[in-house]
Amino acid sequence: MNVKVDTDGTVAHQDDAGDVLLSVRNLRKYFPIKDGVLQNVVGHVKAVDGVSFDIRRGETVGLVGESGCGKSTLSGCVSGLTDPTGGSVHFNTRGRGSAHGPLDEGDRIDRMDRATFAKYRRNVQMVFQDNFASLNPRQLVVDIVGRPLRVHGIASGTALQEKVVELLEQVGLGRQHLYRYPHQFSGGQRQRISIARALALDPELIVLDEPTSALDVSVQAQILNLLNDLQAERHLAYLFITHDLSVVRHMADRTITMYLGKVVEEGPTQDLFETPEHPYTKVLLAAKPDLDDDPDVPIQTLAGSIPDPARPPSGCRFHTRCPVATSTCGWEIDDIVRELETREDLFDKLVGVDRKSDLEATLTFSDSAAAHAVWEAIRSDSVPETMRDAIETLDVRDGALMVRFAKPSAIELREVGTGHRAACILAGE
Amino acid sequence: MTSIETPTENPTRPAIARVQGLKVHFASKKGPVHAVDGVDFDIADGEMLGLVGETGCGKSVTGRAFLGLIPQPPARIAGGRILFRPRRREDTSEDTPEFRPCPTCKGADIVCATCNGSGYDTLDLLAVKPRTMRAIRGRRIAMIFQDPGKALNPILTIGDQLAEVFLQHASADLLADIGGTGDMGGLAAGAVGRAARQESGRLDGILSRVPPVRGHLRRLRAALEDRIAAALAETQISNPRRVIRSYPHELSGGMRQRVMIAQALACDPDLIIADEPTTALDVTIQAKIMELIKMLQEKRKTSVLYISHDLSLVRRTCDRVVVMYAGRVAEVGGVREVFAAPRHPYTRGLLDAIPRSGETRGVLASIPGTVPELVSPPPGCRFADRCVHVMPECTRVNPTLQPLTPDQSVSCFLAHPPAPGAAHKEPELQET
Ligand SMILES: Nc1ncnc2c1ncn2[C@@H]1O[C@H](COP(=O)(O)OP(=O)(O)OP(=O)(O)O)[C@@H](O)[C@H]1O
Ligand SMILES: Nc1ncnc2c1ncn2[C@@H]1O[C@H](COP(=O)(O)OP(=O)(O)O)[C@@H](O)[C@H]1O
Ligand code: SF4
Ligand code: SF4
Ligand SMILES: [Mg+2]
Ligand SMILES: [Mg+2]
Repeated sequence: MNVKVDTDGTVAHQDDAGDVLLSVRNLRKYFPIKDGVLQNVVGHVKAVDGVSFDIRRGETVGLVGESGCGKSTLSGCVSGLTDPTGGSVHFNTRGRGSAHGPLDEGDRIDRMDRATFAKYRRNVQMVFQDNFASLNPRQLVVDIVGRPLRVHGIASGTALQEKVVELLEQVGLGRQHLYRYPHQFSGGQRQRISIARALALDPELIVLDEPTSALDVSVQAQILNLLNDLQAERHLAYLFITHDLSVVRHMADRTITMYLGKVVEEGPTQDLFETPEHPYTKVLLAAKPDLDDDPDVPIQTLAGSIPDPARPPSGCRFHTRCPVATSTCGWEIDDIVRELETREDLFDKLVGVDRKSDLEATLTFSDSAAAHAVWEAIRSDSVPETMRDAIETLDVRDGALMVRFAKPSAIELREVGTGHRAACILAGE
Repeated sequence: MTSIETPTENPTRPAIARVQGLKVHFASKKGPVHAVDGVDFDIADGEMLGLVGETGCGKSVTGRAFLGLIPQPPARIAGGRILFRPRRREDTSEDTPEFRPCPTCKGADIVCATCNGSGYDTLDLLAVKPRTMRAIRGRRIAMIFQDPGKALNPILTIGDQLAEVFLQHASADLLADIGGTGDMGGLAAGAVGRAARQESGRLDGILSRVPPVRGHLRRLRAALEDRIAAALAETQISNPRRVIRSYPHELSGGMRQRVMIAQALACDPDLIIADEPTTALDVTIQAKIMELIKMLQEKRKTSVLYISHDLSLVRRTCDRVVVMYAGRVAEVGGVREVFAAPRHPYTRGLLDAIPRSGETRGVLASIPGTVPELVSPPPGCRFADRCVHVMPECTRVNPTLQPLTPDQSVSCFLAHPPAPGAAHKEPELQET
């Protein structure tokens, strides 16, 4: 049984395809960067850049990555709140009892008819981290939780009120809370109200964007237990976004690691935590201390900061920070520019970069001493050895420096275990 | 501060600060909120002490009380003291008359048992004059806040903000850097410090108000930049010289937090209050920032009060930990002891609620119920309505913090059965 929607050739899980509830293929979302009085578009932030994955009925998919890597943008596209720039989102709207069948063109959310699209929107609900911002402070709980029911004409009057009480009871609140305002609740209780509202339309998928990050550990435990109970009762699927890896480990069946708009690793949570294949996942795991680890073993951390998503590194996007990068991981002209940016004296003397490609360019400096200094620097220990290995030609003439890098390897997600995929040259070795 | 027989002290090291019976109440429509209600603990000289507990339990209020940063009103200091003993240092030009010499050795004995060789008597931070508090802030006790974005001035470059700190508190050192200005050194230093404290702003503006240094402006600026660059370099920030010329919004959260750390450490304070210094940062650098603070703390033997939600980071970085619940101290002890063998039911619940790598899925132990309202709290243990071990006396008598071992104290009747018929008695304040 095949998911027929793979237009770009990326192949996700094919096993169990009949139970797929949501399928994302080659999804992209670019935000224009505007500048100047005319607000001309001078570039794009590639917040999500070619992401594919599936969510099956009743499963929890964890999504982890540094802030700014595109998690919230992706969740906005999945729930239909944001229009993607490219790629597709398919959703099975045929309901829980429906016969298993592959997703097809009719399930593509941007091609759905109105009625089907409305059904999709009802079936995907969101819960955010900042429940203060997402709950209207001037509305009573009965109106907040009851609103979706009223809007969709599901219930009104006393029936609506009883339905709201039922929902509140499911999340551990009760009738006594109907006529209160959000500010009269604690953070954990407000998150329960958000969850009750998300449950109102009996969705099949709830997107949880950092649902417990603002909560204390003891309240977090209550909310996580609640989410697990609700999932068991209603066969819900969750897309669970968090930066807390111990929470993902506790909650998710499968986990996806994102870096700079791309999925770098995906797999069953246990495999991903026990045998992470991508160096970025390994760093994420090592950076977060656990209550059970040895406090005397130093924490591993990541050098440098996340590169500008408007100008993502080519090849493997992680190569600028990867502790085990090889010479074919994607070294490029921009790496020299990035290197120069850290040396103000030399960067000031750079007058132009004439690119033939990402891999080949002539850098012009205001004097030949500067060009020679850069030539010297690029051949020295101050740049990574693997980057030096990737340089095919390096010539300096007067104030001009000619550089050409070797062509990098193609680095794509590939299978490293059952349902476990990673996008790294070294993965599986 | 002669007797140090309190149950919360670090047994191996003398205290640099001691919180005694601290009570801070906030006015609210329903009545006074007992946000901090009788907190006792010591910070040993040179230790890193963790302060943990749920949102609203009073951690930040306690931390801010050290520097007089509690807004009054709505707050009212309803009782207690925060005793602080400054460390000995060469430059005493900023000491006010409230900095009194040690009553035993008169400041002369560097091995004096009373003052731990510091030469100073203790100051009560809740009672000092504003002028003394200004001399303490930054110079003696510095604070690192949760949100590095809000704590930095958006319209000043990083260089100008750090310059302010050096000019305010280290102008004598600076003038020494450029060869001094003869007899005028001390005077000029004082004037520069005052000018910098009066008005924040650009370096040149501050310096031009101090006639004696006008002629040395260029050299002074160079000396200042060297010091700032060195302070930034110490936080392992990349490219300090560029950071000096940057505005806060041009830096990442991690870099801003490093700048805050550089600012806090600039004058080599005796004590640093770090209130959730990594909560606003990405997971990939939280541990790194804490290790940086830890490394600098160990190198300089500074004392740190580290307020945090993150128990795993506290476990890694602190020597001892104070667990607060609803405005009171539940448990204090060495991190090893408290994390391995928590004795207060609340500490146990807190540790059990954290998902661990050993166990996947399943139900997390969670503490039922919620934190009690702190408006006119009933007598007895604050944790009683959530405690699975609650006994009749728990709702009548307030358990006090009592030592269990030399390394661990707990306020719970399970560990210390109340004396028959005992009524609650406020701990007496010891006079110096
Ligand atoms: N300015 C204020 N006005 C009124 N009440 C206040 C004020 N500041 C703090 N409080 C109250 O004091 C109590 C303790 O607050 P504090 O900020 O110390 O908690 P905390 O433990 O630091 O919490 P968090 O972990 O959220 O930072 C809370 O009940 C809070 O509502
Ligand atoms: N409305 C927007 N306009 C411009 N850039 C945006 C917008 N929303 C998000 N971005 C950018 O997209 C990237 C990913 O953002 P987001 O998905 O919010 O990250 P995360 O949730 O992982 O923290 C970031 O670089 C962010 O600055
Ligand atoms: S492909 Fe793998 S080894 Fe190469 S830079 Fe990327 S993560 Fe590192
Ligand atoms: S004193 Fe009583 S109520 Fe309080 S923690 Fe101990 S056993 Fe529980
Ligand atoms: Mg986000
Ligand atoms: Mg706080």
